[in-house]
Amino acid sequence: MSEVVVEVRGLEHTYMRGTPMEAPSLKGVDFDVRRGETVALLGHTGCGKSTLVQHLNGLLRPQKGRVRVLEYDLNDPKVDVKALRRRVALLFQNPEAQLFERYVGDDVAFGPRQLGLSREEVRARVREALEAVGLGFEAFKDRLTFTLSGGEKRRVALAGVLALRPEILVLDEPLAGLDPAGRRHLVELIRRLKSEWGLTLILVSHDLEDVVLLADRCFVMADGRVVLSGTPREIFSQPPARLAEFGLQPPAVTAAVHALAEAGLGVRRDCLTVDEAVSEIARALGMGGKPWTSSSCCAT
Amino acid sequence: MDEFELLRYVTVGQYIPTGSLIHRLDPRFKLAAFAVLVGAVTFTGSYLGNAVLLVLIVGLVFLSRVPLRYVLSGLRPALPVLLLLAALQILLYTPDFTRGTNCTTLFQFWIIHSTTCGVKLAIVSAARFVELLMLTSLLTLTTTTTELTHGIERLFAPLQQRFNFPAHELALIVTITLRFVPTFAEELERIVKAQVSRGADLGQRGRLRFIQQTRALLPMLVPLFLGALRRAEELILAMEARCYMGGKGRTRLIELHSTRQDVVALFVAVLAAATVLLVPWPW
Ligand SMILES: Nc1ncnc2c1ncn2[C@@H]1O[C@H](COP(=O)(O)OP(=O)(O)OP(=O)(O)O)[C@@H](O)[C@H]1O
Ligand SMILES: [Mg+2]
Repeated sequence: MSEVVVEVRGLEHTYMRGTPMEAPSLKGVDFDVRRGETVALLGHTGCGKSTLVQHLNGLLRPQKGRVRVLEYDLNDPKVDVKALRRRVALLFQNPEAQLFERYVGDDVAFGPRQLGLSREEVRARVREALEAVGLGFEAFKDRLTFTLSGGEKRRVALAGVLALRPEILVLDEPLAGLDPAGRRHLVELIRRLKSEWGLTLILVSHDLEDVVLLADRCFVMADGRVVLSGTPREIFSQPPARLAEFGLQPPAVTAAVHALAEAGLGVRRDCLTVDEAVSEIARALGMGGKPWTSSSCCAT
Repeated sequence: MDEFELLRYVTVGQYIPTGSLIHRLDPRFKLAAFAVLVGAVTFTGSYLGNAVLLVLIVGLVFLSRVPLRYVLSGLRPALPVLLLLAALQILLYTPDFTRGTNCTTLFQFWIIHSTTCGVKLAIVSAARFVELLMLTSLLTLTTTTTELTHGIERLFAPLQQRFNFPAHELALIVTITLRFVPTFAEELERIVKAQVSRGADLGQRGRLRFIQQTRALLPMLVPLFLGALRRAEELILAMEARCYMGGKGRTRLIELHSTRQDVVALFVAVLAAATVLLVPWPW
Protein backbone atom coordinates (compact mmCIF):
# COMPACT_ATOMS: atom_id res chain seq x y z
CA MET A 1 0.00 0.00 0.00
CA SER A 2 1.30 3.43 -0.88
CA GLU A 3 2.11 6.09 1.67
CA VAL A 4 -0.48 8.31 3.29
CA VAL A 5 -0.05 11.82 1.84
CA VAL A 6 -2.95 13.57 3.58
CA GLU A 7 -3.78 12.91 7.18
CA VAL A 8 -6.44 14.88 9.04
CA ARG A 9 -7.31 14.02 12.64
CA GLY A 10 -10.04 15.55 14.79
CA LEU A 11 -10.02 18.79 12.81
CA GLU A 12 -12.28 21.56 14.05
CA HIS A 13 -12.84 24.99 12.56
CA THR A 14 -14.98 27.98 13.49
CA TYR A 15 -15.35 30.91 11.13
CA MET A 16 -15.21 34.45 12.52
CA ARG A 17 -14.00 33.07 15.82
CA GLY A 18 -14.26 35.56 18.63
CA THR A 19 -16.89 37.72 16.96
CA PRO A 20 -20.67 37.77 17.34
CA MET A 21 -20.91 36.09 13.92
CA GLU A 22 -19.13 32.88 14.99
CA ALA A 23 -20.00 29.90 12.79
CA PRO A 24 -18.66 26.45 13.67
CA SER A 25 -18.16 24.57 10.41
CA LEU A 26 -15.92 21.57 11.19
CA LYS A 27 -16.56 19.58 14.33
CA GLY A 28 -13.91 16.90 14.40
CA VAL A 29 -13.06 15.51 10.96
CA ASP A 30 -10.91 12.44 10.31
CA PHE A 31 -9.77 12.02 6.74
CA ASP A 32 -6.85 10.49 4.90
CA VAL A 33 -5.63 10.02 1.35
CA ARG A 34 -2.90 7.77 -0.04
CA ARG A 35 -0.55 8.64 -2.86
CA GLY A 36 -2.04 8.09 -6.30
CA GLU A 37 -5.50 7.59 -4.89
CA THR A 38 -8.65 9.40 -6.01
CA VAL A 39 -10.90 10.35 -3.13
CA ALA A 40 -14.34 11.93 -3.30
CA LEU A 41 -15.61 14.19 -0.55
CA LEU A 42 -19.41 14.30 -0.50
CA GLY A 43 -22.02 16.11 1.51
CA HIS A 44 -24.90 18.51 1.44
CA THR A 45 -24.54 22.27 1.12
CA GLY A 46 -22.80 23.87 4.06
CA CYS A 47 -21.51 20.66 5.63
CA GLY A 48 -17.94 21.96 5.60
CA LYS A 49 -16.33 20.41 2.51
CA SER A 50 -14.79 23.62 1.22
CA THR A 51 -13.60 24.48 4.71
CA LEU A 52 -11.89 21.10 4.98
CA VAL A 53 -10.12 21.31 1.63
CA GLN A 54 -8.84 24.81 2.35
CA HIS A 55 -6.84 23.26 5.16
CA LEU A 56 -5.07 20.97 2.72
CA ASN A 57 -2.97 23.73 1.18
CA GLY A 58 -2.68 25.88 4.24
CA LEU A 59 -5.24 28.55 3.36
CA LEU A 60 -6.78 27.73 6.71
CA ARG A 61 -4.76 26.49 9.65
CA PRO A 62 -6.05 23.93 12.13
CA GLN A 63 -7.68 25.60 15.12
CA LYS A 64 -8.02 22.24 16.80
CA GLY A 65 -6.89 18.81 15.64
CA ARG A 66 -4.02 17.81 13.36
CA VAL A 67 -3.40 18.21 9.64
CA ARG A 68 -0.44 16.74 7.82
CA VAL A 69 -0.03 16.96 4.03
CA LEU A 70 2.98 15.30 2.39
CA GLU A 71 5.81 16.03 4.81
CA TYR A 72 4.31 19.33 5.95
CA ASP A 73 2.83 19.50 9.42
CA LEU A 74 0.32 22.34 9.30
CA ASN A 75 0.13 22.54 13.07
CA ASP A 76 3.67 23.90 13.01
CA PRO A 77 3.38 27.69 12.62
CA LYS A 78 6.77 27.82 10.90
CA VAL A 79 5.94 25.25 8.23
CA ASP A 80 6.86 26.32 4.68
CA VAL A 81 3.30 26.77 3.34
CA LYS A 82 4.62 28.30 0.14
CA ALA A 83 6.43 25.10 -0.77
CA LEU A 84 3.36 23.11 0.23
CA ARG A 85 1.06 25.17 -2.00
CA ARG A 86 3.25 24.47 -5.00
CA ARG A 87 2.81 20.75 -4.54
CA VAL A 88 -0.85 20.77 -3.50
CA ALA A 89 -3.07 22.72 -5.88
CA LEU A 90 -6.62 23.74 -5.10
CA LEU A 91 -9.29 24.57 -7.65
CA PHE A 92 -11.73 26.85 -5.86
CA GLN A 93 -15.41 26.13 -5.83
CA ASN A 94 -16.24 29.31 -7.65
CA PRO A 95 -14.12 29.65 -10.80
CA GLU A 96 -14.55 33.43 -10.90
CA ALA A 97 -12.99 33.49 -7.47
CA GLN A 98 -9.74 32.13 -8.78
CA LEU A 99 -9.05 34.40 -11.74
CA PHE A 100 -7.48 37.73 -10.97
CA GLU A 101 -5.34 38.69 -13.95
CA ARG A 102 -6.72 40.55 -16.93
CA TYR A 103 -5.58 38.13 -19.59
CA VAL A 104 -6.09 34.40 -19.66
CA GLY A 105 -2.44 33.78 -20.54
CA ASP A 106 -1.19 35.88 -17.61
CA ASP A 107 -3.55 34.18 -15.25
CA VAL A 108 -2.43 30.69 -16.17
CA ALA A 109 1.20 31.85 -16.11
CA PHE A 110 0.93 33.24 -12.59
CA GLY A 111 1.84 29.96 -10.90
CA PRO A 112 4.81 29.07 -13.13
CA ARG A 113 6.12 32.65 -12.82
CA GLN A 114 6.01 32.36 -9.05
CA LEU A 115 8.16 29.25 -9.42
CA GLY A 116 10.80 31.43 -11.07
CA LEU A 117 10.84 29.53 -14.37
CA SER A 118 12.29 30.95 -17.58
CA ARG A 119 10.06 32.67 -20.14
CA GLU A 120 10.13 29.69 -22.50
CA GLU A 121 9.39 27.28 -19.72
CA VAL A 122 6.46 29.40 -18.52
CA ARG A 123 5.12 29.59 -22.06
CA ALA A 124 5.44 25.85 -22.52
CA ARG A 125 3.58 25.21 -19.31
CA VAL A 126 0.80 27.62 -20.16
CA ARG A 127 0.39 25.98 -23.56
CA GLU A 128 0.37 22.52 -22.03
CA ALA A 129 -2.13 23.48 -19.34
CA LEU A 130 -4.51 25.33 -21.66
CA GLU A 131 -4.46 22.50 -24.14
CA ALA A 132 -5.02 19.92 -21.41
CA VAL A 133 -8.27 21.64 -20.47
CA GLY A 134 -9.28 21.86 -24.12
CA LEU A 135 -8.73 25.56 -24.77
CA GLY A 136 -6.53 26.53 -27.70
CA PHE A 137 -3.37 28.32 -26.58
CA GLU A 138 -3.34 30.83 -29.44
CA ALA A 139 -7.08 31.44 -29.32
CA PHE A 140 -7.33 32.01 -25.59
CA LYS A 141 -4.07 33.37 -24.23
CA ASP A 142 -4.96 36.98 -25.08
CA ARG A 143 -8.63 36.86 -24.12
CA LEU A 144 -9.74 39.08 -21.24
CA THR A 145 -10.69 36.86 -18.34
CA PHE A 146 -13.97 38.59 -17.60
CA THR A 147 -15.19 38.05 -21.15
CA LEU A 148 -15.12 34.26 -20.72
CA SER A 149 -18.22 32.17 -20.18
CA GLY A 150 -18.67 30.42 -16.84
CA GLY A 151 -17.52 27.09 -18.23
CA GLU A 152 -14.47 28.65 -19.88
CA LYS A 153 -13.57 30.40 -16.64
CA ARG A 154 -13.72 27.06 -14.86
CA ARG A 155 -11.33 25.58 -17.40
CA VAL A 156 -8.93 28.51 -17.25
CA ALA A 157 -8.90 28.26 -13.47
CA LEU A 158 -8.13 24.56 -13.78
CA ALA A 159 -5.36 25.30 -16.28
CA GLY A 160 -3.96 27.81 -13.79
CA VAL A 161 -3.51 25.13 -11.14
CA LEU A 162 -2.37 22.44 -13.58
CA ALA A 163 0.42 24.76 -14.73
CA LEU A 164 1.92 24.35 -11.27
CA ARG A 165 2.33 20.61 -12.03
CA PRO A 166 1.16 19.68 -8.53
CA GLU A 167 1.36 16.24 -6.93
CA ILE A 168 -1.99 16.53 -5.22
CA LEU A 169 -4.92 18.24 -6.92
CA VAL A 170 -8.03 19.25 -5.01
CA LEU A 171 -11.08 20.06 -7.12
CA ASP A 172 -13.89 21.78 -5.23
CA GLU A 173 -17.16 21.04 -7.05
CA PRO A 174 -15.52 20.92 -10.48
CA LEU A 175 -18.74 20.01 -12.30
CA ALA A 176 -21.18 22.44 -10.73
CA GLY A 177 -23.00 24.53 -13.28
CA LEU A 178 -21.57 22.89 -16.42
CA ASP A 179 -23.67 21.68 -19.33
CA PRO A 180 -23.67 17.94 -20.22
CA ALA A 181 -20.93 18.33 -22.84
CA GLY A 182 -18.80 20.38 -20.42
CA ARG A 183 -19.32 17.76 -17.73
CA ARG A 184 -18.33 14.90 -20.02
CA HIS A 185 -15.25 16.77 -21.12
CA LEU A 186 -14.21 17.52 -17.55
CA VAL A 187 -14.85 13.97 -16.33
CA GLU A 188 -12.71 12.77 -19.20
CA LEU A 189 -9.99 15.24 -18.27
CA ILE A 190 -10.06 14.17 -14.63
CA ARG A 191 -9.81 10.55 -15.75
CA ARG A 192 -6.70 11.50 -17.76
CA LEU A 193 -5.18 13.45 -14.87
CA LYS A 194 -5.58 10.33 -12.82
CA SER A 195 -4.19 7.81 -15.31
CA GLU A 196 -1.68 9.83 -17.35
CA TRP A 197 -0.49 12.52 -14.97
CA GLY A 198 -0.66 10.13 -12.01
CA LEU A 199 -2.03 12.83 -9.72
CA THR A 200 -3.46 12.22 -6.31
CA LEU A 201 -6.96 13.64 -6.65
CA ILE A 202 -9.46 14.90 -4.12
CA LEU A 203 -12.86 15.60 -5.65
CA VAL A 204 -15.50 17.55 -3.80
CA SER A 205 -19.13 17.16 -4.75
CA HIS A 206 -22.47 17.88 -3.12
CA ASP A 207 -24.17 15.21 -5.15
CA LEU A 208 -23.69 11.57 -6.06
CA GLU A 209 -22.78 12.35 -9.63
CA ASP A 210 -20.78 10.65 -12.35
CA VAL A 211 -17.47 12.14 -11.28
CA VAL A 212 -17.76 10.31 -7.98
CA LEU A 213 -17.49 7.03 -9.88
CA LEU A 214 -13.88 7.92 -10.64
CA ALA A 215 -13.04 7.76 -6.96
CA ASP A 216 -11.39 4.87 -5.21
CA ARG A 217 -12.92 5.90 -1.93
CA CYS A 218 -15.62 8.31 -0.79
CA PHE A 219 -16.09 10.23 2.41
CA VAL A 220 -19.58 11.50 3.18
CA MET A 221 -19.74 14.57 5.41
CA ALA A 222 -22.72 15.95 7.27
CA ASP A 223 -22.80 18.86 9.63
CA GLY A 224 -19.04 19.22 10.03
CA ARG A 225 -18.26 15.52 10.49
CA VAL A 226 -17.41 12.51 8.32
CA VAL A 227 -20.38 10.20 8.72
CA LEU A 228 -19.80 7.51 6.11
CA SER A 229 -16.90 6.23 4.06
CA GLY A 230 -16.31 3.48 1.55
CA THR A 231 -16.04 2.75 -2.15
CA PRO A 232 -18.45 4.55 -4.47
CA ARG A 233 -20.32 1.27 -4.89
CA GLU A 234 -20.76 0.90 -1.14
CA ILE A 235 -21.96 4.47 -0.81
CA PHE A 236 -24.32 4.39 -3.79
CA SER A 237 -25.91 1.14 -2.69
CA GLN A 238 -26.92 2.53 0.69
CA PRO A 239 -30.69 2.64 1.05
CA PRO A 240 -31.97 5.95 -0.34
CA ALA A 241 -33.53 6.75 3.03
CA ARG A 242 -30.15 6.53 4.73
CA LEU A 243 -28.54 8.80 2.13
CA ALA A 244 -31.40 11.24 2.51
CA GLU A 245 -30.60 11.38 6.21
CA PHE A 246 -27.27 12.97 5.25
CA GLY A 247 -28.89 15.28 2.71
CA LEU A 248 -27.77 13.27 -0.32
CA GLN A 249 -29.89 12.03 -3.17
CA PRO A 250 -29.01 8.79 -4.94
CA PRO A 251 -28.68 8.95 -8.74
CA ALA A 252 -31.82 8.01 -10.69
CA VAL A 253 -30.37 4.63 -11.73
CA THR A 254 -29.61 3.57 -8.17
CA ALA A 255 -32.98 4.82 -6.96
CA ALA A 256 -34.67 2.82 -9.70
CA VAL A 257 -32.99 -0.50 -8.89
CA HIS A 258 -33.66 0.08 -5.20
CA ALA A 259 -37.33 0.62 -5.98
CA LEU A 260 -37.40 -2.52 -8.15
CA ALA A 261 -35.77 -4.56 -5.42
CA GLU A 262 -38.28 -3.22 -2.89
CA ALA A 263 -41.05 -4.24 -5.27
CA GLY A 264 -39.77 -7.81 -5.16
CA LEU A 265 -37.63 -8.07 -8.28
CA GLY A 266 -34.42 -9.97 -7.55
CA VAL A 267 -31.96 -7.34 -8.71
CA ARG A 268 -28.73 -6.29 -7.08
CA ARG A 269 -29.03 -2.89 -5.51
CA ASP A 270 -25.57 -1.55 -6.29
CA CYS A 271 -25.89 -0.77 -9.98
CA LEU A 272 -24.08 2.44 -10.76
CA THR A 273 -24.59 3.04 -14.46
CA VAL A 274 -27.50 2.71 -16.86
CA ASP A 275 -25.74 -0.17 -18.65
CA GLU A 276 -25.26 -2.11 -15.44
CA ALA A 277 -28.86 -1.57 -14.44
CA VAL A 278 -30.14 -2.64 -17.85
CA SER A 279 -28.24 -5.91 -17.90
CA GLU A 280 -29.08 -6.58 -14.26
CA ILE A 281 -32.80 -6.02 -14.79
CA ALA A 282 -32.71 -8.08 -17.98
CA ARG A 283 -31.03 -10.90 -16.06
CA ALA A 284 -33.55 -10.71 -13.22
CA LEU A 285 -36.40 -10.85 -15.72
CA GLY A 286 -34.84 -13.93 -17.29
CA MET A 287 -34.13 -12.19 -20.57
CA GLY A 288 -30.56 -13.41 -20.71
CA GLY A 289 -27.75 -10.94 -20.59
CA LYS A 290 -24.52 -11.74 -18.86
CA PRO A 291 -24.34 -11.20 -15.12
CA TRP A 292 -21.70 -8.63 -14.35
CA THR A 293 -19.15 -8.43 -11.62
CA SER A 294 -17.93 -5.43 -9.76
CA SER A 295 -14.54 -5.60 -11.40
CA SER A 296 -15.94 -5.38 -14.91
CA CYS A 297 -17.51 -2.03 -14.36
CA CYS A 298 -17.24 1.62 -14.64
CA ALA A 299 -14.93 3.16 -12.11
CA THR A 300 -11.79 2.66 -14.16
CA MET B 1 -3.91 31.48 12.94
CA ASP B 2 -6.31 33.00 10.47
CA GLU B 3 -3.99 34.93 8.23
CA PHE B 4 -6.69 35.48 5.62
CA GLU B 5 -9.72 36.17 7.73
CA LEU B 6 -9.56 39.86 6.89
CA LEU B 7 -13.28 40.18 7.41
CA ARG B 8 -12.87 39.67 11.09
CA TYR B 9 -11.02 42.95 11.44
CA VAL B 10 -13.45 45.05 9.48
CA THR B 11 -16.03 46.36 11.90
CA VAL B 12 -17.07 49.39 9.86
CA GLY B 13 -20.05 48.56 7.69
CA GLN B 14 -21.12 45.42 9.55
CA TYR B 15 -24.46 45.27 11.29
CA ILE B 16 -25.01 43.25 14.43
CA PRO B 17 -28.61 43.04 15.58
CA THR B 18 -28.97 42.90 19.34
CA GLY B 19 -32.17 44.92 19.60
CA SER B 20 -30.67 47.27 22.17
CA LEU B 21 -31.79 50.80 22.96
CA ILE B 22 -29.16 52.19 20.59
CA HIS B 23 -30.44 49.96 17.81
CA ARG B 24 -33.98 51.17 18.27
CA LEU B 25 -33.22 54.90 18.12
CA ASP B 26 -34.71 56.85 15.25
CA PRO B 27 -31.90 57.02 12.65
CA ARG B 28 -32.36 60.77 12.18
CA PHE B 29 -31.68 61.44 15.84
CA LYS B 30 -28.97 58.80 15.96
CA LEU B 31 -27.19 60.43 13.03
CA ALA B 32 -27.53 63.90 14.51
CA ALA B 33 -26.16 62.70 17.84
CA PHE B 34 -23.36 60.96 15.97
CA ALA B 35 -22.49 64.18 14.12
CA VAL B 36 -22.47 66.13 17.38
CA LEU B 37 -20.15 63.61 19.03
CA VAL B 38 -17.84 63.52 16.00
CA GLY B 39 -17.66 67.31 16.22
CA ALA B 40 -16.78 67.08 19.89
CA VAL B 41 -14.03 64.55 19.19
CA THR B 42 -12.63 66.67 16.38
CA PHE B 43 -12.40 69.89 18.35
CA THR B 44 -11.25 68.57 21.72
CA GLY B 45 -7.54 69.08 22.20
CA SER B 46 -7.18 68.29 25.89
CA TYR B 47 -6.36 65.02 27.63
CA LEU B 48 -9.28 65.23 30.02
CA GLY B 49 -11.80 66.10 27.32
CA ASN B 50 -10.71 63.09 25.31
CA ALA B 51 -10.84 60.87 28.37
CA VAL B 52 -14.42 61.95 29.04
CA LEU B 53 -15.37 61.23 25.44
CA LEU B 54 -13.68 57.85 25.54
CA VAL B 55 -15.59 56.88 28.66
CA LEU B 56 -18.83 58.08 27.09
CA ILE B 57 -18.24 56.08 23.91
CA VAL B 58 -17.34 52.92 25.81
CA GLY B 59 -20.54 53.44 27.78
CA LEU B 60 -22.50 53.66 24.53
CA VAL B 61 -20.90 50.44 23.31
CA PHE B 62 -22.03 48.70 26.50
CA LEU B 63 -25.49 50.10 26.03
CA SER B 64 -25.60 48.72 22.48
CA ARG B 65 -24.73 45.21 23.75
CA VAL B 66 -22.21 44.72 20.93
CA PRO B 67 -19.11 43.12 22.50
CA LEU B 68 -16.50 45.81 23.19
CA ARG B 69 -13.76 43.42 22.08
CA TYR B 70 -15.37 43.18 18.67
CA VAL B 71 -15.60 46.96 18.27
CA LEU B 72 -11.96 47.32 19.29
CA SER B 73 -10.77 44.56 16.96
CA GLY B 74 -11.37 46.98 14.09
CA LEU B 75 -8.37 48.93 15.38
CA ARG B 76 -5.92 46.15 14.73
CA PRO B 77 -5.19 46.75 11.04
CA ALA B 78 -4.80 50.49 11.70
CA LEU B 79 -2.28 49.98 14.48
CA PRO B 80 0.92 50.23 12.35
CA VAL B 81 -0.27 53.48 10.76
CA LEU B 82 -1.23 54.84 14.14
CA LEU B 83 2.21 54.08 15.57
CA LEU B 84 4.01 55.56 12.59
CA LEU B 85 1.93 58.70 12.83
CA ALA B 86 2.65 59.05 16.52
CA ALA B 87 6.38 58.58 15.93
CA LEU B 88 6.43 61.27 13.25
CA GLN B 89 4.49 63.70 15.41
CA ILE B 90 6.74 63.18 18.41
CA LEU B 91 9.94 63.48 16.40
CA LEU B 92 9.16 66.18 13.86
CA TYR B 93 6.36 68.37 15.21
CA THR B 94 7.60 71.89 15.85
CA PRO B 95 5.61 74.38 17.91
CA ASP B 96 5.79 76.93 15.07
CA PHE B 97 2.65 75.35 13.73
CA THR B 98 0.63 76.53 16.68
CA ARG B 99 0.16 80.02 17.98
CA GLY B 100 1.47 81.01 21.33
CA THR B 101 2.17 77.60 22.80
CA ASN B 102 4.50 77.06 25.65
CA CYS B 103 6.34 73.90 24.75
CA THR B 104 9.52 72.65 26.30
CA THR B 105 12.04 70.98 24.05
CA LEU B 106 12.78 67.40 25.05
CA PHE B 107 15.68 66.96 22.70
CA GLN B 108 16.88 68.34 19.41
CA PHE B 109 19.12 66.72 16.82
CA TRP B 110 19.44 67.58 13.11
CA ILE B 111 15.85 67.84 11.80
CA ILE B 112 14.50 65.98 14.76
CA HIS B 113 12.84 68.30 17.20
CA SER B 114 10.95 66.66 19.99
CA THR B 115 8.78 68.79 22.27
CA THR B 116 6.14 68.22 24.91
CA CYS B 117 3.61 69.64 22.43
CA GLY B 118 4.55 66.92 19.95
CA VAL B 119 3.97 64.27 22.59
CA LYS B 120 0.62 65.77 23.50
CA LEU B 121 -0.41 66.02 19.88
CA ALA B 122 0.55 62.38 19.30
CA ILE B 123 -1.45 61.15 22.27
CA VAL B 124 -4.47 63.30 21.54
CA SER B 125 -4.62 62.39 17.87
CA ALA B 126 -4.27 58.69 18.66
CA ALA B 127 -7.14 59.04 21.13
CA ARG B 128 -9.20 60.90 18.54
CA PHE B 129 -8.58 58.22 15.99
CA VAL B 130 -9.71 55.51 18.39
CA GLU B 131 -12.80 57.51 19.33
CA LEU B 132 -13.75 58.22 15.73
CA LEU B 133 -13.32 54.63 14.71
CA MET B 134 -15.38 53.39 17.64
CA LEU B 135 -18.10 55.92 16.95
CA THR B 136 -18.33 55.05 13.27
CA SER B 137 -18.28 51.34 14.01
CA LEU B 138 -20.95 51.81 16.63
CA LEU B 139 -23.15 53.69 14.18
CA THR B 140 -22.98 51.05 11.46
CA LEU B 141 -23.06 48.12 13.90
CA THR B 142 -26.36 49.33 15.30
CA THR B 143 -28.04 50.78 12.21
CA THR B 144 -29.15 48.92 9.12
CA THR B 145 -28.25 50.33 5.75
CA THR B 146 -31.86 51.16 5.01
CA GLU B 147 -32.24 53.09 8.24
CA LEU B 148 -29.05 54.99 7.51
CA THR B 149 -30.26 55.95 4.06
CA HIS B 150 -33.61 57.14 5.36
CA GLY B 151 -31.96 59.03 8.17
CA ILE B 152 -29.49 60.88 5.98
CA GLU B 153 -32.10 61.63 3.39
CA ARG B 154 -34.56 63.06 5.90
CA LEU B 155 -31.92 65.08 7.70
CA PHE B 156 -30.92 66.79 4.49
CA ALA B 157 -34.44 67.09 3.09
CA PRO B 158 -34.86 70.75 4.17
CA LEU B 159 -31.68 71.64 2.28
CA GLN B 160 -33.05 69.90 -0.77
CA GLN B 161 -36.20 71.98 -0.71
CA ARG B 162 -34.38 75.24 -0.15
CA PHE B 163 -31.25 74.91 -2.28
CA ASN B 164 -31.96 71.88 -4.44
CA PHE B 165 -29.32 69.99 -2.49
CA PRO B 166 -29.13 66.36 -3.72
CA ALA B 167 -30.05 64.77 -0.37
CA HIS B 168 -31.22 61.51 -1.81
CA GLU B 169 -28.09 61.03 -3.88
CA LEU B 170 -25.89 61.88 -0.91
CA ALA B 171 -27.71 59.29 1.17
CA LEU B 172 -27.22 56.74 -1.56
CA ILE B 173 -23.49 57.44 -1.88
CA VAL B 174 -22.91 57.19 1.87
CA THR B 175 -24.88 53.98 2.09
CA ILE B 176 -23.08 52.33 -0.79
CA THR B 177 -19.70 53.37 0.57
CA LEU B 178 -20.39 51.89 3.99
CA ARG B 179 -21.97 48.79 2.58
CA PHE B 180 -18.98 48.11 0.34
CA VAL B 181 -16.28 48.20 3.01
CA PRO B 182 -16.86 44.60 4.08
CA THR B 183 -17.42 43.62 0.47
CA PHE B 184 -13.96 44.85 -0.44
CA ALA B 185 -12.45 43.05 2.50
CA GLU B 186 -14.08 39.90 1.15
CA GLU B 187 -12.82 40.62 -2.34
CA LEU B 188 -9.30 41.20 -1.06
CA GLU B 189 -9.45 37.96 0.87
CA ARG B 190 -10.50 36.17 -2.31
CA ILE B 191 -7.63 37.62 -4.35
CA VAL B 192 -5.07 36.94 -1.65
CA LYS B 193 -6.26 33.36 -1.38
CA ALA B 194 -6.22 32.88 -5.15
CA GLN B 195 -2.69 34.21 -5.41
CA VAL B 196 -1.09 32.43 -2.47
CA SER B 197 -2.75 29.17 -3.43
CA ARG B 198 -0.78 29.40 -6.64
CA GLY B 199 2.51 29.95 -4.95
CA ALA B 200 2.58 33.72 -4.38
CA ASP B 201 4.71 34.84 -1.48
CA LEU B 202 3.10 36.77 1.34
CA GLY B 203 6.51 37.26 2.89
CA GLN B 204 5.74 35.66 6.22
CA ARG B 205 9.30 34.79 7.06
CA GLY B 206 12.25 36.98 7.86
CA ARG B 207 12.91 40.01 9.97
CA LEU B 208 11.40 42.72 7.79
CA ARG B 209 8.00 41.06 7.64
CA PHE B 210 6.18 44.35 7.53
CA ILE B 211 7.95 45.68 4.43
CA GLN B 212 7.80 42.32 2.68
CA GLN B 213 4.11 41.97 3.36
CA THR B 214 3.39 45.44 2.10
CA ARG B 215 5.31 44.74 -1.09
CA ALA B 216 3.48 41.47 -1.57
CA LEU B 217 0.19 43.35 -1.37
CA LEU B 218 0.93 45.49 -4.43
CA PRO B 219 0.09 42.87 -7.08
CA MET B 220 -3.14 42.28 -5.20
CA LEU B 221 -4.25 45.89 -5.35
CA VAL B 222 -4.61 46.08 -9.12
CA PRO B 223 -7.13 43.23 -9.30
CA LEU B 224 -8.88 44.72 -6.27
CA PHE B 225 -9.44 48.03 -8.04
CA LEU B 226 -10.48 46.34 -11.25
CA GLY B 227 -12.89 44.26 -9.24
CA ALA B 228 -14.25 47.39 -7.57
CA LEU B 229 -14.96 48.99 -10.92
CA ARG B 230 -16.63 45.83 -12.16
CA ARG B 231 -18.77 45.68 -9.04
CA ALA B 232 -19.79 49.30 -9.53
CA GLU B 233 -20.89 48.46 -13.04
CA GLU B 234 -22.87 45.47 -11.83
CA LEU B 235 -24.53 47.62 -9.20
CA ILE B 236 -25.56 50.17 -11.81
CA LEU B 237 -26.97 47.40 -13.93
CA ALA B 238 -28.88 45.96 -11.00
CA MET B 239 -30.30 49.37 -10.13
CA GLU B 240 -31.33 50.12 -13.68
CA ALA B 241 -32.87 46.68 -14.04
CA ARG B 242 -35.12 47.65 -11.12
CA CYS B 243 -35.97 50.94 -12.81
CA TYR B 244 -34.17 53.04 -10.23
CA MET B 245 -34.91 56.71 -10.91
CA GLY B 246 -33.37 58.67 -8.06
CA GLY B 247 -35.11 60.70 -5.40
CA LYS B 248 -37.82 62.54 -7.27
CA GLY B 249 -41.32 61.50 -6.41
CA ARG B 250 -40.29 58.41 -4.45
CA THR B 251 -42.46 57.42 -1.54
CA ARG B 252 -41.24 55.48 1.45
CA LEU B 253 -42.01 52.02 2.69
CA ILE B 254 -40.91 52.94 6.17
CA GLU B 255 -42.03 56.16 7.80
CA LEU B 256 -39.84 57.28 10.67
CA HIS B 257 -41.41 58.13 14.00
CA SER B 258 -39.46 59.80 16.74
CA THR B 259 -40.19 59.21 20.41
CA ARG B 260 -39.11 60.86 23.63
CA GLN B 261 -36.18 58.46 23.84
CA ASP B 262 -34.75 59.89 20.64
CA VAL B 263 -34.97 63.44 21.86
CA VAL B 264 -33.33 62.47 25.15
CA ALA B 265 -30.51 60.70 23.30
CA LEU B 266 -29.79 63.74 21.17
CA PHE B 267 -29.96 65.95 24.22
CA VAL B 268 -27.42 63.77 26.04
CA ALA B 269 -25.06 63.93 23.04
CA VAL B 270 -25.32 67.73 22.84
CA LEU B 271 -24.80 68.03 26.58
CA ALA B 272 -21.73 65.82 26.44
CA ALA B 273 -20.29 67.73 23.50
CA ALA B 274 -20.93 71.07 25.19
CA THR B 275 -19.30 69.89 28.42
CA VAL B 276 -16.25 68.65 26.63
CA LEU B 277 -15.88 71.71 24.42
CA LEU B 278 -16.82 74.53 26.79
CA VAL B 279 -15.22 73.46 30.06
CA PRO B 280 -11.63 74.79 30.20
CA TRP B 281 -9.96 71.50 31.04
CA PRO B 282 -6.77 72.08 33.05
CA TRP B 283 -4.77 69.70 30.83
N1 LIG C 1 -16.03 33.01 5.38
C1 LIG C 1 -16.99 32.47 6.14
N2 LIG C 1 -17.43 33.14 7.22
C2 LIG C 1 -18.38 32.62 8.00
N3 LIG C 1 -18.96 31.43 7.81
C3 LIG C 1 -18.57 30.71 6.75
C4 LIG C 1 -17.57 31.19 5.86
N4 LIG C 1 -17.39 30.27 4.90
C5 LIG C 1 -18.25 29.27 5.18
N5 LIG C 1 -18.95 29.51 6.29
C6 LIG C 1 -19.96 28.61 6.92
O1 LIG C 1 -19.33 27.39 7.25
C7 LIG C 1 -20.13 26.29 6.89
C8 LIG C 1 -19.38 25.35 5.97
O2 LIG C 1 -19.11 26.01 4.77
P1 LIG C 1 -18.40 25.30 3.53
O3 LIG C 1 -18.14 26.36 2.52
O4 LIG C 1 -17.23 24.54 4.01
O5 LIG C 1 -19.55 24.33 3.03
P2 LIG C 1 -19.54 23.32 1.80
O6 LIG C 1 -19.68 21.97 2.35
O7 LIG C 1 -18.39 23.59 0.91
O8 LIG C 1 -20.90 23.71 1.06
P3 LIG C 1 -21.22 23.80 -0.51
O9 LIG C 1 -21.60 22.45 -0.96
O10 LIG C 1 -22.39 24.72 -0.55
O11 LIG C 1 -20.02 24.36 -1.17
C9 LIG C 1 -21.39 26.86 6.28
O12 LIG C 1 -22.40 26.80 7.26
C10 LIG C 1 -21.05 28.28 5.95
O13 LIG C 1 -22.17 29.10 6.13
MG1 LIG D 1 -18.12 24.28 -0.91
